[in-house]
Amino acid sequence: MIVLNDIHKHYGRVRANDGISLTLEPGRIYALVGENGAGKSTLMRVLAGHTRPTSGELVMDGESLSHLTPALARKKGVGMLYQDPLDFPAMPVWENFQLGAPKRTKKEVIDIIGELSYRLDACFLPDEPVSSLTVGERQLLELLRLLDLGATTLILDEPTTGITPEQKQDLFDLLMKLAREEGHTIVLVTHKLSEAFEMADSIFIMRQGRLVSTLTPPYDERELVQLMFGEAADGEVEPLPELRSKSGTPRLSMRDVLFAGPKYSMGGLNFTARPGECIGLAGLDGSGQELFLRGLCGLDRMPGGAFDLDGTRFAANDFSTLRKAGVQFVPADRLGLALFPDLNLMEHITLAFPDRDGDLADFYRSQCVEKFNLQAHPETHAVSLSGGNQQRLLLSLIPDETRLLLMEHPTRGLDAGSARQVWNHLNRRCADGATLIFFSPDLEEVLEHSHRVIVFYDRTLAAVVEGDDISMEVVGALMAGKKYDELKEGAA
Amino acid sequence: MDTFALTIAAILMAGAPLVLATLGETLTEKAGIINLSLDGSILLSAMAAFACSATFDSPWLGMLAGACVGAAIAGVLGVIGIFLGQSQLAVGFILTLLSRDLAYFLGHNFSRQPGPNLGLWTIPGLGKAPFVGLIFGSQSPVVYLSLAAIAFCWWWMYRTEAGMRLRAVGESPRAAFGRGIRVRMVRLYYCLAGGALVGLAGAAYSLAVKPGWGRPQGCEGAGWIALAIVIFGGWHPVRAALGAFFFAALQVSGIYLQEIFPSIPAPVFQVAPFPMMILTLLAVNMGRMGWVQDIVRRHPLFKALSRGWSIDAPAALGQDFDPKKGL
Amino acid sequence: MNRDSLLTQIGWLALTLLLALALTVIVAWPAGAPPLETIYVLFKGGVSSWSKIGRVLAGWVPLTLCSVGLLIPFTARLWNIGVEGQVIMGAIFCTAALRPFEDGGGTGVIILALAASVAGGAFWALLAGLLRVFGRVHEIFSGLGLNFVALGVTLWLIFGPWRRPGVASMSGTKPLDISLWLPRLGTMSVSWVGLILACAAVLLVYILLHRTKWGLKMRAVGENPKAATLFSLGPRRRLLQAFMLCGGLAGLAGATQVLSVYHRLLPNISSGYGYTALLVSMMASFRLSLVPFICLFFAVLNVGSIQLPLQLGLDSSLSGVIQGIMVLSLFIVQGLRLWLKQRKEAD
Repeated sequence: MIVLNDIHKHYGRVRANDGISLTLEPGRIYALVGENGAGKSTLMRVLAGHTRPTSGELVMDGESLSHLTPALARKKGVGMLYQDPLDFPAMPVWENFQLGAPKRTKKEVIDIIGELSYRLDACFLPDEPVSSLTVGERQLLELLRLLDLGATTLILDEPTTGITPEQKQDLFDLLMKLAREEGHTIVLVTHKLSEAFEMADSIFIMRQGRLVSTLTPPYDERELVQLMFGEAADGEVEPLPELRSKSGTPRLSMRDVLFAGPKYSMGGLNFTARPGECIGLAGLDGSGQELFLRGLCGLDRMPGGAFDLDGTRFAANDFSTLRKAGVQFVPADRLGLALFPDLNLMEHITLAFPDRDGDLADFYRSQCVEKFNLQAHPETHAVSLSGGNQQRLLLSLIPDETRLLLMEHPTRGLDAGSARQVWNHLNRRCADGATLIFFSPDLEEVLEHSHRVIVFYDRTLAAVVEGDDISMEVVGALMAGKKYDELKEGAA
Repeated sequence: MDTFALTIAAILMAGAPLVLATLGETLTEKAGIINLSLDGSILLSAMAAFACSATFDSPWLGMLAGACVGAAIAGVLGVIGIFLGQSQLAVGFILTLLSRDLAYFLGHNFSRQPGPNLGLWTIPGLGKAPFVGLIFGSQSPVVYLSLAAIAFCWWWMYRTEAGMRLRAVGESPRAAFGRGIRVRMVRLYYCLAGGALVGLAGAAYSLAVKPGWGRPQGCEGAGWIALAIVIFGGWHPVRAALGAFFFAALQVSGIYLQEIFPSIPAPVFQVAPFPMMILTLLAVNMGRMGWVQDIVRRHPLFKALSRGWSIDAPAALGQDFDPKKGL
Repeated sequence: MNRDSLLTQIGWLALTLLLALALTVIVAWPAGAPPLETIYVLFKGGVSSWSKIGRVLAGWVPLTLCSVGLLIPFTARLWNIGVEGQVIMGAIFCTAALRPFEDGGGTGVIILALAASVAGGAFWALLAGLLRVFGRVHEIFSGLGLNFVALGVTLWLIFGPWRRPGVASMSGTKPLDISLWLPRLGTMSVSWVGLILACAAVLLVYILLHRTKWGLKMRAVGENPKAATLFSLGPRRRLLQAFMLCGGLAGLAGATQVLSVYHRLLPNISSGYGYTALLVSMMASFRLSLVPFICLFFAVLNVGSIQLPLQLGLDSSLSGVIQGIMVLSLFIVQGLRLWLKQRKEAD
């Protein structure tokens, strides 16, 4: 049994964990829910020994400890599975499995992997580099490794992002088995309520660093949402804007386009989009969505084919030309790819609107503060902004005349309130005639905000889905490789 | 045939210090640290080795001194770069200039002085054998040292648990930390180990390949070439060693070419390694260029070739890691 | 770093100097150098007479030109290690421009030579830039390789096509006609033209980096080149501009060496100023206001060290040793400050 007693974790003035106490009993599955930024991951990292708490104690097997280290956590049987598996992509499977474990020969390791895989109906080639596995497979390998090391408490941080619905079901079945049959303790960190309902014996709800409540079944969704979001739960997302008539020049018309990125290329792309349309891209990580967006804006090359933008032909996708023509790309990694960390807001404005001369203070006020509610002093450096403010800054830097907006994961790392504001803004842009193409690893977000969904599988455009077919079952199956005609036949 | 064998013997000798330096830096960079002080380090170790050898009349003591000096310089870089959080490139660069000036300053009294060198090892009986006899019958011990180093480094990196940990640290320090590996200490160890090999390289110059000390000594610029060879060799000890011998071959052939073409001035041959260095680095990066990838895609024959061509640096090369920040 | 009070900053600076002094004494001890006497000879050798001060200033000019030039690529987070070669190329182009004028020339010829040197340095820097931007060869390697190539070109010219008839020696090419020497400041060996050029360069770099949009864009490119692409800032073009500007200033430094110091092309025409300039910029933590003063200090050390072999039997590379130790001490002290700050935060 594990008890966390009054755990505090402060980063300067930010209280990521503000006095949290909870108990974990063996054989049970717990869900730790809260929106982005609530402090769930921080708390679990404390439990797994990957971070030291500022104060508080952990009680394990009756022994009281002020903090854990990775080695100590392993001895106590605690293992954490990160959303992004913490492994060694360039190294082979068997070495990934063996690192950090007591000394064994290569043959012994291969035997163990084989046995564990057999029990769980998986298959791993021991000499293949881990980079060749899918995210789901890397997760499973990591899970096997933790079990091999004797983990009895397993923490999974957002495990279902980036895996197919099928893989998710397999994972949940496995977790149930580990808890019920082998008496392990499972903690599922998630911001998806449906998963919590499905799996958990108890739900811990965190908000702004505090544990606000512990719920037991039967679960009331409204009560859960209320506790998770507080007053902000009352905000509503505006519905998808209506599309105008089908006639008129299409906004985007792709003909046999071939995009080539650094790791792979993707060809035979034919697609048409209308002004005001919101198009979501669905697919597993690396299936082609990123290349699709990057190719359309000109960051990756287009060695074949051509596309039309409002009737103007582009046989070459030069980034600057496309940008001037009204194509804007917004990456998901804000500080890493889209902003200048040590430059302040005014400097960002100056760089984004080079044609405006003179004093930009008024422009800043009207553009950022009034339009986007970016409450920050203009001299603030971008790196000091919160995630929500960074996204607001990014959006405010996009010119109003943008015709084709390409966004990677618009609400990454944002709390519910900020995410809602972002979608309201994007919906308004579409209503004004801009076309939005976006992707998100959160399938629900893609389904909710798209007029049409393009599904990618194995670096090809698998299908374009619209209307009633925009559903978890259909899109999930397409993402996993089922062919669209087979699905339609099966339904008929 | 005899000339060919003698050429090989010359290449092995000329390449031995370069191999040692390259192997050392491969170890260091595999752990994620870039040691720019190589060039100055080789010079200072060479001077220290010669000085020690002349003072104590023992070239092997000189080799030890060289290794210690190389490790010490790398240790300074390691501590300041790993534990004090300063830029590895900046500190390494300062150290290369500092070590070079220190070598000339402290070596002032040893300049152009006579001193013992390592001499040659004769294998009895082998000298009469054709071809092999000409290469190994009477060869400098640094050649054997370099060959042993190649085998040892390969075995260490790919056949031991410690070597696995080394590669893990350079690949993903965060994941390594999560597995309980002490990332910063591992980096420091390989900094020191790599530095020791670099020091041996310097000693090999002043005690075998270009015996003596002077200003210039004759091995100026070797450190930079070694740094480039590490990249060219894909951070793999055997491939890097082959790269080192390739450059040694260029240098040896330069001497022959100079005899054949006396009209081409000497400076051309002396600086030839450096444009070669740039060209090899260009060639290494070519696989990533867009237009090259287009050609490869259209001609499947090239695809097979290209798979062996591209190499990836240790993912965390040159990056800082602070365990206090946790994961 | 900037939030500490002035007193704290001075305290840390004093610690740096003390550390540098201690380290210098430690490393100089094996050579048998008496510490106090050595320091005395060094500084006396630099400032004890007007002629020596003149030589210090003559060394200050090219060092300052190179160091302020380096601030531009550093703003873009580039390491222009190739400065040394760019100085040499500037000197070569300068000499080449003057060769038709063996019998002398006027101001126009000098201006032509200066322009040629800027072009030469910029061209050499452009090569390194192209290798970096399009060939993805790190500028450390391309710069260094080109340094050695430039040296090779110099040697080939001095012993080959530009050889003095009957004399093929390390003393270089035929000396320039006196009309092509830059005018001197009084009786001192420094030229006022050189001094003006150096001061103008400081001003130019200040205006460019801190008072123009161009400077802001360069800073953005250095901060985050990928974001710079997204903002259509044309990072590749700007990186090349940064290289070329720095190279041009370095070339000018080469020209001052030819026109006002040696009056001919020598093998060692760059005198290591390129590498020393890199040390200066690091020592100044890339703050423009500190650069001219550190250059002056380093120039004093360089001139003073010439006395060492004569008066104390020591090698003149001691000045380089001291310069290296000073920058190293700065990094050590910076690191200690960082380490202490992190320990305080953890508690």
